[in-house]
Amino acid sequence: MSSPTHIPASGSFPKRSILLHWVMAALIIATLIIGLSIAHHSTIHYAGLFTLHRTLGFIILALVLLRLANSVTTKHNPSLPATMPIWAKYAAHISHGLLYGFMLALPLVGWAMLSAGGYPITLWGGCHIPPLIGYNATLWAQLRSLHSCLAYGLAFLIMGHMAAALFHGFIRRDGVLKTMLYRR
Amino acid sequence: MTHPTPQKRSILWAAVLLPSLCLGLIFAWAGGVIGGDTLTPSHFMALFHKAGAPTTGFRRAHAKGMCVTGWFEPSEAGRTLSKSGIFRGTHLPVIGRFSLAPPMPYLADNPAIARSLAFQIRSQTGDDWRLALVDVPLQPIRDLHDALAFFGSNALDPITHQPDPARTKAYADARPWLRTAFSQNAQRAVSSGLEDDSYNSLDSFYLTNHTGKKTAVRWTATPLEPFHPAGTPSEDDKNYLFKQLIRTLNQHPLSWSLTATIARAGDPINDPSQPWSPTAEKLSVGTLTFTQAYSEDEKGCGPMVFDPTILPSGITVTDDPLLALRSSIYMHSYSTRAGETKTPSMVTSHIIASPTLSTHEKGQ
Repeated sequence: MSSPTHIPASGSFPKRSILLHWVMAALIIATLIIGLSIAHHSTIHYAGLFTLHRTLGFIILALVLLRLANSVTTKHNPSLPATMPIWAKYAAHISHGLLYGFMLALPLVGWAMLSAGGYPITLWGGCHIPPLIGYNATLWAQLRSLHSCLAYGLAFLIMGHMAAALFHGFIRRDGVLKTMLYRR
Repeated sequence: MTHPTPQKRSILWAAVLLPSLCLGLIFAWAGGVIGGDTLTPSHFMALFHKAGAPTTGFRRAHAKGMCVTGWFEPSEAGRTLSKSGIFRGTHLPVIGRFSLAPPMPYLADNPAIARSLAFQIRSQTGDDWRLALVDVPLQPIRDLHDALAFFGSNALDPITHQPDPARTKAYADARPWLRTAFSQNAQRAVSSGLEDDSYNSLDSFYLTNHTGKKTAVRWTATPLEPFHPAGTPSEDDKNYLFKQLIRTLNQHPLSWSLTATIARAGDPINDPSQPWSPTAEKLSVGTLTFTQAYSEDEKGCGPMVFDPTILPSGITVTDDPLLALRSSIYMHSYSTRAGETKTPSMVTSHIIASPTLSTHEKGQ
């Protein structure tokens, strides 16, 4: 049983990183589903769902900043297995970079877009967020389109990330999936 | 290395791919790609285009309009009904917009056309309240399905380029629950101008005060100008209603009392097509005063969205389905039109500067 595919990835992520990953995964998927729904359905719960979407967006923005700080300060993050082809390692690093980029950009563009559109940014519980930029209707239209494009992009990135993680777990069985799973 | 059987391999690949595909299906359903019979804001936008809305930067409804600025003086009754910071302020800045209801931005003024008043009130404490009011007393639409049929019935005939009265009649005939709305709207007293007109929210809202008491209300902006019945439209001047408003504003400020009609037990909160009891209490929550007119192309309200679900704390939406519909369509329309190259508005800054019902426009 010394096949190279069975050499596990070294170590695993610290528990706080694993917790952040899964909490954010749940929040991001929920926010995407709510966002897609309110943009494409004239549902009766529109106002409430929109407030929830804004609130979740700001929570995600705070968490992604926390996560970036955590990622930089964690000394021993597990490295990818040595047996992975070089192109696959590049693909992994690029897709993780893109995931971080989209997670950060989506709430920021959402914030800027509502500011440019002159919308008050009120969160669940009545908290007011100050505008990020000034009122500019043309910019609002552009940022609104960008917000949609980023959302579609993030949806596909998440689907690819899930499939890649499960490919590591079930086909390659190289321990990469386990680095992000809870152990006792 | 052990090699899994082909059967086991396909199970493993299913385990790799199926979770992503399931999530993809959920995203596609949320995005309206699958699931069929959903009402999307795009459906409604398409109907506005069929009803004459151009794609040159104008609102998809209430397209012809003009901006005004002024202030709002809240009353004690407002503070009793709602804890909103709006009612605790004084002399709050207001940006307003008077308009004609149809989706055509270059429509000749005519007393038969429904008119609207939309405005935004802001408080020093960051509250933002937007209202979009119309001068008919009831909404001839009960729910989303009525809305789809109603806006569909407004489609212009490809030959006459006018709405087809037969389709409008068919819409009304098929909906006995709208009989009251159609008759009250037809029997309303039409005023001589935009300045002596009453404007209604149609939709209902909840006000919550400091003790947590919730009151359902409908809004009406009642003019302080005396009412004059509409005369015959000016044949020489396609902007005579707007010019009359500008001329009056040049002489003196114009005020409206913002009145809350308080729902009684049994009054329909979630149905803007039904009247409330005639004895319902009415309280003025403040006075709205406009002093200055501007062209939409100049500043202020031009692109602004008057989404009636943009509310300060202390005012909330009801489960009126039309409010949710309006909000979703307004956002769609706003992001679409703001990205278009706009042609000049019919009420230009030149008209604002010299609003004379001039004879030189004759024969144009």
